[in-house]
Amino acid sequence: MVSELLASAIRMGLPVLLAALGAVYSERSGVVNIGLEGMMIMGSFWGAVGAYYAGPLAGMALAVAASVLMALVHAAVSVTFRVDQIVSGVALNILAYGVARFSSIALFQKATMSPHVQGFTPINIPGLDQIPWLKPLVTNLSPLVVVGFLLVPLSHWVIEKTVFGLRLRAVGENPLAADTLGLKVFHLRYAGVLLSGVLAGLAGAYLSVEHTGMYVEGMTQGKGYIALAAMIFGNWSPVGAMGAALLFGFAESLSFRVVESAVVPYQFIKMIPYALTLVVLAGVLKRTTPPAADGIPYEREEA
Amino acid sequence: MRKRYRYVALELASPLVAIAFAVLVGAVVIAAIGKDPVEVYRIMFTFAFRRLDSVGIMLFGATPLIFSGLAVAISFRAGLFNIGVEGQYLIGTFLAALAGFALKGLPSFVHLPLVIAVAALGGALWSLLPVYLKVRRGVHEVISTIMLNYIAFSLIHYLIADVFMDRQQGLMPGVGNPLIRTPKIAPSALMPRMHGFLALFGVDLPRHVYLNWFFPLGLLLAVAVHYLIWRTAFGYELRAVGHNPAAAEAAGIDPAAVQIRAFLLSGLIAGVTGLSDLLSYFGYMDLDFPKGYGFTGIAVALMGKNNPLGIVLAALLFGFLNRGAEGVQTFAGVPMDTVVILQGVMILSIVVASAVMGRYIRRQERKEALGASW
Repeated sequence: MVSELLASAIRMGLPVLLAALGAVYSERSGVVNIGLEGMMIMGSFWGAVGAYYAGPLAGMALAVAASVLMALVHAAVSVTFRVDQIVSGVALNILAYGVARFSSIALFQKATMSPHVQGFTPINIPGLDQIPWLKPLVTNLSPLVVVGFLLVPLSHWVIEKTVFGLRLRAVGENPLAADTLGLKVFHLRYAGVLLSGVLAGLAGAYLSVEHTGMYVEGMTQGKGYIALAAMIFGNWSPVGAMGAALLFGFAESLSFRVVESAVVPYQFIKMIPYALTLVVLAGVLKRTTPPAADGIPYEREEA
Repeated sequence: MRKRYRYVALELASPLVAIAFAVLVGAVVIAAIGKDPVEVYRIMFTFAFRRLDSVGIMLFGATPLIFSGLAVAISFRAGLFNIGVEGQYLIGTFLAALAGFALKGLPSFVHLPLVIAVAALGGALWSLLPVYLKVRRGVHEVISTIMLNYIAFSLIHYLIADVFMDRQQGLMPGVGNPLIRTPKIAPSALMPRMHGFLALFGVDLPRHVYLNWFFPLGLLLAVAVHYLIWRTAFGYELRAVGHNPAAAEAAGIDPAAVQIRAFLLSGLIAGVTGLSDLLSYFGYMDLDFPKGYGFTGIAVALMGKNNPLGIVLAALLFGFLNRGAEGVQTFAGVPMDTVVILQGVMILSIVVASAVMGRYIRRQERKEALGASW
């Protein structure tokens, strides 16, 4: 029972986890990425398109490509042109909504949904799948779940232990000092934003290809913003983001059970993730600190 | 001084550059689905402008965008980003509908202003929590307002479908499904249309145009906001805080107090956004009440450079785009959603163009200042 609930929390929390890991890369380099929601929309739509025409792997590739394209625009606008990062992100979200509707009509003659698509073959973790009480957690898994949870220690290692990670953190904390030491601030910030695009694209593709089996308009339901909140709650670290993403997944899977019991009107159950986000951000549970130069465009002295 | 005018011209150039770029991107998108962009744009213009009723519909379509654009702009001026206009106007619209159908027997000159006030207060109510969280707990208002948008959608859904749904819609038993909507608003709370007034000038709008007095009210509000921003002490504080909160504080302004007032004012205006539709076209609120005015309001505010006159022009532009897109969808088979793509592209290109030009102007000014000191 407990492991079933946990397994359901993992399935629900995975898109938040992937996008939150992306947000960690972007924000540690000093760029706020409110466009994660739009990138996830692109991922969910183009993931379904790729999976519909050429299978789940093509879906992932197309989703990542579309999402990275958005990330590239975000980086160009907010890093190169030093425009307000929030404005750029919000514009991308509006753009993604329009592109998804437009393309959906062009490809499927319907603005709001795609045909059914085939996901990956579910996998079992060899060895562990023999233990009875672990079964719900280690059998019948989407490969993306495994990838997502492997990315947590990997991201922790990349950010904390590698030269690239050190440099990424340096431009997020003090871009001027990093620049003085010869680091390429703009390149590193591009890298951070593009990595967040890769992960948000996967998060979106997971929703449509793996979780639902089709694209439905609005299926991201603000998970991009919730991922930002999860990253903040996780104190800008991959492991913390994982904990927060699981908390959100848990709240969502729990809410499905409450709906089944029909005690509270379902509209109120639907509010839970959003209300939880507000509670988490209000620091009711704990306080966090962002990177020092997060959200501030870096401007070299103009000659 | 002649140079000053050149700078002003450069400022004004950026919205035009943004429009041109969006038109170009739109042309590529249209060509990508195998249509002729020139023909599509031609249809857009002729459909929107050839007939009087179409122009009236454009003005009706621009009306809510004037309100939502002004709401977003006021928060921008104070250095805040109100993405919650969406939720604020839905709450405002619902409370207005409630005051509209629940109160009966009031004369129109009491009922209508009351309903408008209730809508404004509803919008302000929904903006209270985000600004509190911002000022006291440092929660970024963008995320909190978006969360409250989702909460508002669910809450309104609950209130309309489960609590206040009109179960006496006069359908024959067993015929059709009743609409999921509130009861009808009393006639005393409805906003009169402009037909009678315009007829005095020989302009005869057909009955299917819902242009009403919220349009001139929006124009008046734009003038009032302009006065507030540029001619009052509060407007000065607002701009100071938006420009540089630390400097404003050093000058004796309390940034938190200014931001709270600005955000609540933004919420008040946001609350009224949906009323032009509610009190003339619908007469009740249903689950399909128009959404998205809040997000379009962001595009309107940015295109108008947070300047009330610019916002009116930008709202008219989007009114035209929406109307033209209807024609394009019907007569050229191009999805209406092209407009949403244009909006996104316009926002991105206007902010980039403004940033580039702003930097160019500053550089020129610095050069001149150096030149003058020689």
